[in-house]
Amino acid sequence: MTDTRARTAGEETPSPMPGDEAPLLEVKNLVMNYEIKTGMVSAVEDVSFAVPKGRSLGLVGESGCGKTSIALTLMQLLPNNARILGGEVVLDGQNLLELGEEEMRKRRWDDIAMVFQGAMNSWNPVYTVGDQIREAIYLHWEPRPSYDEAMAKISELYELVGLNPGMIERYPHEYSGGMKQRAVIAMALSCSPKLIIADEPTTALDVIVQEQILEELRKVQHEFGMSVIYISHDIAVIAEITDLIGVMYAGKVVELGSTREIFANPRHPYTWLILSSTPSITGPRRQLAPLEGEPPNLLDPPPACRFHPRCPFATDICHEREPPLEEIKPGHWAACWHHEEVPTELVTESR
Amino acid sequence: MLKFIGRRLIQMTFLFFLFLTLVFFLLESQPGDITSQFLDPNIPAQVRQLIIERLGLDGSVWNRWWNYITNFVTGNLGVSFSQYPRSVFDVIVERIPRTLFLFTFATLLAYFIGFTLGKRVAWKRGGFSEHAVTIGGVLLYTVFYPWFAILMILLFGSYLDIFPINGFIDPGFWRNAPFTGNEVFSQLILSLAIAAFIVSATAILARRQEERRTARLIRAVGYPLSVIVLVGFWVIRSEMRPYALDIVHHSILPIITLALIAFAGVMLLTRSSMLETLREDYILTARAKGVPEKDIRDRHAARNALLPVVTSFVLGLAFIIGGGVVTETVFSWPGMGALLLNATVIEDVPVATGALAFIGVLALLGHLIVDILYAVLDPRIRIAGRE
Amino acid sequence: MTGRPTQVTEDQSTQVDPTELEELTPAVEVGEGELPRSLWRVRLRLAWQGFRKNWRLFAENKIGLAGLIIILIFAVMALAFPLLRAVGPWDNDAIYDPVIGYDAPVAELEVVPTRAEVTDPTQQIDAIDAQLWCFGALPGDTCRIPQQPAPPSEGHLLGTDPLGRDIASQLTFSTRAAFLLGLIAALVTVGIATSIGSIAAFYGGWLDNFLMRFADLILLMPLIPILIVMSGLWEINLPLLGVLIGVLNGFGGTAIVLKSQALSVKVKPFIDAARVSGGSNMHLIFRHIVPNVLPLSFLYMMFSVTEAVSLEATLSFFGLLNVDMSWGIMLNTAQSQGYLRSGFEFWWLLIPAGVAVTLLAAGFFFAGRAMDEVINPRLRAR
Repeated sequence: MTDTRARTAGEETPSPMPGDEAPLLEVKNLVMNYEIKTGMVSAVEDVSFAVPKGRSLGLVGESGCGKTSIALTLMQLLPNNARILGGEVVLDGQNLLELGEEEMRKRRWDDIAMVFQGAMNSWNPVYTVGDQIREAIYLHWEPRPSYDEAMAKISELYELVGLNPGMIERYPHEYSGGMKQRAVIAMALSCSPKLIIADEPTTALDVIVQEQILEELRKVQHEFGMSVIYISHDIAVIAEITDLIGVMYAGKVVELGSTREIFANPRHPYTWLILSSTPSITGPRRQLAPLEGEPPNLLDPPPACRFHPRCPFATDICHEREPPLEEIKPGHWAACWHHEEVPTELVTESR
Repeated sequence: MLKFIGRRLIQMTFLFFLFLTLVFFLLESQPGDITSQFLDPNIPAQVRQLIIERLGLDGSVWNRWWNYITNFVTGNLGVSFSQYPRSVFDVIVERIPRTLFLFTFATLLAYFIGFTLGKRVAWKRGGFSEHAVTIGGVLLYTVFYPWFAILMILLFGSYLDIFPINGFIDPGFWRNAPFTGNEVFSQLILSLAIAAFIVSATAILARRQEERRTARLIRAVGYPLSVIVLVGFWVIRSEMRPYALDIVHHSILPIITLALIAFAGVMLLTRSSMLETLREDYILTARAKGVPEKDIRDRHAARNALLPVVTSFVLGLAFIIGGGVVTETVFSWPGMGALLLNATVIEDVPVATGALAFIGVLALLGHLIVDILYAVLDPRIRIAGRE
Repeated sequence: MTGRPTQVTEDQSTQVDPTELEELTPAVEVGEGELPRSLWRVRLRLAWQGFRKNWRLFAENKIGLAGLIIILIFAVMALAFPLLRAVGPWDNDAIYDPVIGYDAPVAELEVVPTRAEVTDPTQQIDAIDAQLWCFGALPGDTCRIPQQPAPPSEGHLLGTDPLGRDIASQLTFSTRAAFLLGLIAALVTVGIATSIGSIAAFYGGWLDNFLMRFADLILLMPLIPILIVMSGLWEINLPLLGVLIGVLNGFGGTAIVLKSQALSVKVKPFIDAARVSGGSNMHLIFRHIVPNVLPLSFLYMMFSVTEAVSLEATLSFFGLLNVDMSWGIMLNTAQSQGYLRSGFEFWWLLIPAGVAVTLLAAGFFFAGRAMDEVINPRLRAR
């Protein structure tokens, strides 16, 4: 299909934090496809990135670009038709893809917890929220705590995320959307994981609650010193809370760097275009430029650089050879043949 | 919760009167009146008139309707033509326990097996077993039921000779029995009810425990206890035991046959309900939490997949009652269904319509129980408006 | 890319009543002069395309196809009966009439003095038993005994029943009745349920409330006991049974399902559009809501047939209907003559009729399930 797989193999994992910080999680050359009747959907193609301890990484991209697939691969919660074709997911020096199903089950929530998209449906409607948090605690704490110990922990977490502990024994339908999401965060923290994956944690909520939840997440991350991967289609939301950003397009990471660097100096045309289509509150007023075209069909992705059909800088080389994800500057990686041509100024719509 | 049950009760009462009205108009709609249908056409006109007046048939339709309803509520359903002078009420009340026995066991068996199998089939999507079970289920669902019952009798009764081919008791065996069938049967029901009570109390108590060890202990005591009580009951009543066993022996094949028919629908519905539930986000959450697969299936998915299955019981009720009538007839099981059919065939109209009305009451009661059960299972209904 | 035109239909479905879309489309398709004739051609073509798309979905479901094939086989059987009776080999009324025909092969048995001397029951009979058929027969005589029921033979492919009638002829004759009954029941069910569902959904309020409570009641009530009692009060023949089943079904569960469908149609923008352009209530109900509920109605016709076929067979089996011949009657005859309890020895009395009821009911059920998946995309396996 493409000649990319051979490229980065054996080299160091692209880490947006140069040198000194030890990575907690390293994803190396991950390839994952979905097998459907009409063929293979290339959902994650040769993705590599690293998350340092105590830092937060944001994965941004249009819907269907493989963000959630990466999250599910990290947790190994993929549907039956998913095929992991290669790569490594190294957490604390251990490759999770080599673990057996039972071992992996014990690691879930204990090491990696997840805050899902759509808090409304993350709770089983027939059990109280307390039941469901205790279930996680009973499964993972060693030794198994008593009911009172578990409840003490849950009350503490409820206080932390701004919920009334009196709500613990209530059913999910008695919670509002924002409360459900806070409770999900409390549950994610219940086993003190090393890494939390937050998949569109605020998408279904209204704007004010969104702010509060993000604030809550940032607070607990600093308090517990854990690493967090945020997944969102909205680069503005991500920018507020993450240290680092990875931009994804059609199953690939096309740019990786610190949030500040990405915003100040986007080096991939796609990043440049989505920044141009996003309003900024702090920056100067400008006309927004909508992103033209649609993401490609991953059943039959464009050859070489997957972005070339929509790219204003595309030349012949873009559909002949795959651009490697190169460190163009310490801690700033981009996969584009023309990264030097991308202007620093954001595009404004010309009418 | 109480408010919910109260509202349901009022609705049921309304439906009940609507149903009685339907039965009444069914009676009214028959060609001619009761005197021209059932009396000698040669009786003198004055006598006929007197009979009409005594039976209250000379009033307006609304009068007759009111009479019918008040009579029914006070338990006066008239006198049986064929078992004159027994009252219809007596005739029916004698049959009710037998029908309830058949019906309860078949339903429990059908829902238990159907649900257990349905959830497993959905869980192991694809593969030979899913196809085999699904096709088998669909065939059972559409099979011509009386024919199926006959095949069961031929196979297990005549060919394999495991069970008696029909009846409630073996008359030869009971010829010199010191008890009547009804006496033994009521003791049988009593013992089973005690055992059932212990089992359900154990299950509920164990479910309420937070600590697994306590729950396990309660189960370890409760379940064997129910068996011990059941065995002990029949050790004490050892003189009745062989007769009770005879009744049990006669009831197994009809119960299994009825359960098989009802089971298919339950299984197919559980399967599709379970497939739907497995797509829910909270299943993914449970997986992410590291919940073992078996617990995801039973505690998370099946518990929610159960809700539509319970709702469907309202529909299943009509199906299973209809099936019960057929079963009782084919197996000569002397319950309400067989009574209804026999009374119809011999034109004992009071008994036939009385039995129909009682079957309606049975259906409504079943409906009420299901509604309460649903509210217990679904917290969204149980504690609506607690705040 | 044959899916394109129908794709457009789906996109516009919220603004435009899909059943009227055909009338809007020709504007781009045909020249002005020949509009009236071509309109029909366009409509036909669109209908054909819709049919082909749905057919592809339907055909993916193997069980549904199996159901359709079963129905077709029975249809052929139903059509074959008059043909076989008219041109042969069943043209002899005295033998092959399903109700009054009679034919019994005769066995010639040698009469022997006592039962103990009977060594071969197909060749010999004792003198006492022989009196039943040959009065006055003495040992040594030959007694001719008509065999009924008779096992399958060349003249009677499925044998004869206890009254000496041809089973194959009864089986095919009854197919026609089953279809007729199913058709009546289905049409009545759907006619009533669609009207009630649409009206309840459209008007709402107390009318809706009453109709739905009534539907609850009917839904709750088992059909079999009700029909049994009715058959005791009236003479019920096949068409009347069809109507009764149709009425009970139509006022019950089917009405509830169709009402919720009608409710989802009622809130679509094209209903408002039609109302604004001055459509009367009846116009809205019967021109806009009912046509959009019809696909689902059609589905419930299939299930209605299943129910009618097995109900008829059950009631006939109990001997409660005023019907000359049907699959249920065939079983009833065998049962009342005492042939069903004696094991599988007289299998030709037991198997063909039972299998026929089961298969035809299953055929409509399978086809209905597959159609359900075409109509409700939610049910499709992903």
